Amino acid sequence: MFAFIIRRLIATVLLLIVVSMITFAIFFLVPRLAGQNSYQLASQYVGRNPTRSAILQVEQRLGLNAPIYLQYGRFLRGIVVGAHFNSGTSTAYCPPPCFGYSFKNQQPVWPMMISDVPVTASLAAGAAILWLSGGVAIGVVSALRRGTLFDRFSMGVALAGVSLPIFFTGLISLALFSYKWPIFPNVQYVEITQNPLLWARNLVLPWITLAFLYAALYARLTRAGMLETMSEDYIRTARAKGLPERTVIVKHGLRAALTPIVTIFGMDLGLLLGGAVLTENTFGLHGLGQFTIQAIQQQDLPEILGVTMLAAFFIVVANLVVDILYAVVDPRVRH
Amino acid sequence: MKRRGTIGLAAVTAAAALILAACGSSSTKTSTSSGSFNSAVTGVVSPSTHKGGTLTFGNSSTPDSTDPGNTYYAFMWNFVRLYTMPLMTYKSCPGACGLQVVPDLATAPGVAGDHGLTWTYHIKPNVKFEDGTTVTSADVKYAVERTYDRTVLPNGPSYFPVLLTDPKYPGPFKNRSKNMMGLTAITTPDPTTIVFHLQHPFADFNYVAAIPQTAPVPPSKDTGTKYQLHPMSTGPYKFASYQLNKQITLVPNTNWNPATDPNAKQLASKVVVNLNMNANDIDNRLIHGDLTVDMPGTGVQAAARARILSSSSLKAQSDDPISGFLWFAYINTKVAPLNNVHCRMAIEYAANKTNLQTAYGGPFAGGAVASTVAPPNVLGYKKFDLYEATSKPGGDVAKAKSELTACGQPSGFTTGVAYRSDRPKEVSAAQALQAALAPAGIHVTLHGYPAGTYYSDFAGVPKYVHAHKLGILFGGWAADWPDGYGFFDEITNGNAIVPAGNTNISELNDPVVNKLLEQMAGTQNATARNAFTSKIDLQVMKDAVILPEVYAKSLLYRSPALSNVYVQTYYGMYNYAALGLK
Repeated sequence: MFAFIIRRLIATVLLLIVVSMITFAIFFLVPRLAGQNSYQLASQYVGRNPTRSAILQVEQRLGLNAPIYLQYGRFLRGIVVGAHFNSGTSTAYCPPPCFGYSFKNQQPVWPMMISDVPVTASLAAGAAILWLSGGVAIGVVSALRRGTLFDRFSMGVALAGVSLPIFFTGLISLALFSYKWPIFPNVQYVEITQNPLLWARNLVLPWITLAFLYAALYARLTRAGMLETMSEDYIRTARAKGLPERTVIVKHGLRAALTPIVTIFGMDLGLLLGGAVLTENTFGLHGLGQFTIQAIQQQDLPEILGVTMLAAFFIVVANLVVDILYAVVDPRVRH
Repeated sequence: MKRRGTIGLAAVTAAAALILAACGSSSTKTSTSSGSFNSAVTGVVSPSTHKGGTLTFGNSSTPDSTDPGNTYYAFMWNFVRLYTMPLMTYKSCPGACGLQVVPDLATAPGVAGDHGLTWTYHIKPNVKFEDGTTVTSADVKYAVERTYDRTVLPNGPSYFPVLLTDPKYPGPFKNRSKNMMGLTAITTPDPTTIVFHLQHPFADFNYVAAIPQTAPVPPSKDTGTKYQLHPMSTGPYKFASYQLNKQITLVPNTNWNPATDPNAKQLASKVVVNLNMNANDIDNRLIHGDLTVDMPGTGVQAAARARILSSSSLKAQSDDPISGFLWFAYINTKVAPLNNVHCRMAIEYAANKTNLQTAYGGPFAGGAVASTVAPPNVLGYKKFDLYEATSKPGGDVAKAKSELTACGQPSGFTTGVAYRSDRPKEVSAAQALQAALAPAGIHVTLHGYPAGTYYSDFAGVPKYVHAHKLGILFGGWAADWPDGYGFFDEITNGNAIVPAGNTNISELNDPVVNKLLEQMAGTQNATARNAFTSKIDLQVMKDAVILPEVYAKSLLYRSPALSNVYVQTYYGMYNYAALGLK
């Protein structure tokens, strides 16, 4: 197991390097294929009606006139050993992992990114607990009461949850529960260390909105998996042996049906930790999703690179955790 | 089973009905409303000296910078007056009064000397920074010279290096011991006097002095790129905190003296700016009362606009001022056959102004049909209508065909139209223009480009425009200062044509216009200077190089919780430096 983890971590590092190379290439090579040069790229970071001299200075400051391989080399070096940046009046050391300085904000990317992680983590964790517990529970009950009103209703709601976009359900929930009936007024992120109750209260609507989408999917997956496993011969055997029904369902039925759930949960959580873009934008939460939108809108390469690599890291780590959990869920995998 | 199914269906239907009913009604948490539709355009709504409360701004994006030397957004030039005092500013009053440039840090408007080659200002002697130190002329000089280094401060305008002597000054950041206070174009004979030395006479220099770049910066407190996190305040408020791209909090500056700054007020106990909010959520919170100001000041979104205009109570809480922007299309004079003025005139006559107005959002959100290049809030504006834009807004195909005959194209011609493809209004406008020109025989092919590189790579590159035969190019313009020179110079002066980043996209090089602009720049008397505006406007329209579409308007929602609300005409949005709370 230890060797397995080490191998996966090495693969993670290699994967992140490849991701950074691809992102770098897209940012620089695609515009160049369209005929854009570094002077034109620099003109986007100067403001309105700049002089030629101003654009050239910015081109130099951002290092855009250096060869691409040199720019990439500087970037990688910053991640490993850090870099020095001149703020104008002083030189500051940017410790590793240094994702450079934002083209637009001229501040180090890493601290800006890291300050957004708690917001996204709070959103993802809370929603994950809701959708996992709710989705699996509904899926189990639906499978056990197949064909009943509960089954039809819950699967109908699940279909709605999967079909309705978050920017619709989010805005509806705000309209109803923040403005019309101010049960959750003035939704904005409050740090858990500052006020845990307010932190939770302000996240209830985003949690429920996000969980509604995922719970639907998990309910349907769980239902399908349970229907399959509960029709297996070993379930009949367990019942014939006189085991309590609860034990039959949870220990024998659900456990076997959980494998695909665990797989998809890892992917979903990893993706969300990279930024729940729509949810954060709808509720005005300053997480990695908002950071990503802003970075793309401003064509800020250091920020785009930073958030892309961080998101890739979360996905890879989540998948690693999932693979380890397989061994817990399915004893056959251990051998 | 059947009965349970029926009951279940009834329950679901009832729940859905409740939800729909809730969505159909509105609920706002408001205090007593005051004013009526557009009352803040011409007057002050809810005048009050009441102190206290928190002014909460919402912004769907972020400032380019909070450093007064590094910002070029209209809403930031408005907002920085909460914590800075440039040499000059715009008088805080509604209506045309708000276009006057008046002293702020300076004791009086600048005095031109040496045949217009110097401008001298005296600064008020008892203005202090937030830490209690007295502002001197050296702080103003430093504030200007630090903007020369674009590697540190890339965003602000470039007027000082262009107008002043010593344009090659590298800025005070490189080789700091040698270059700090080294800009020879600005001299400070004593702590309250500052003299600007110009390359050529420039009568509009007081407007340049109103740019936030002249707000004083103490050299010892300058942190370069980090200065935006806590600029040293000379205004009524100072920075308490700034979480970059998330939230700004300002608190009262106890070292601010209201007697020295009559154009700003210190009424609220706190100012909070929430950044990167959802634009529709900002509107909902404004209407609900959770926010007091929409910071960008460019108007509510479509959903809120429909809601406001359909409700008499909400409409009474809104204003629809002219923003100062003109939406228009350049007609390029180098792309044949538009090098012939009559072919250009044909486009002016054929365009359907009503459809163009609709494309931009209609009379409230789009703006008023334009017949001149200068919008009504430019000093010296005079109304005229050479091409029946307001008398026949649907276009005049007959006259267009007559002009086509005059330019030797009786059967019409084909040309390209450039527009920004990620701006839905501009896309609609381009399509509307295409449809309007076709009956006259003018066939246009549409070419969309991304907004971020539209000027730098395409429309603003004459070589590209010629090669791709782009005869008509959509755009918009607002001047950095509200007189005719500020509006017309960059877009009509023959000297402004450059190979990239070109703003004179029509490539107009009319000696008459060039001469009028030159005369205007050298005319010291304000009345005489403003008289040039309409002359230049008329000549530009005779040249038919610009197809004016709409004088842009913005539908602003005025929170009932605010006091001292009025539109500052120069900014086209509420005056943020005057706001208080009831």
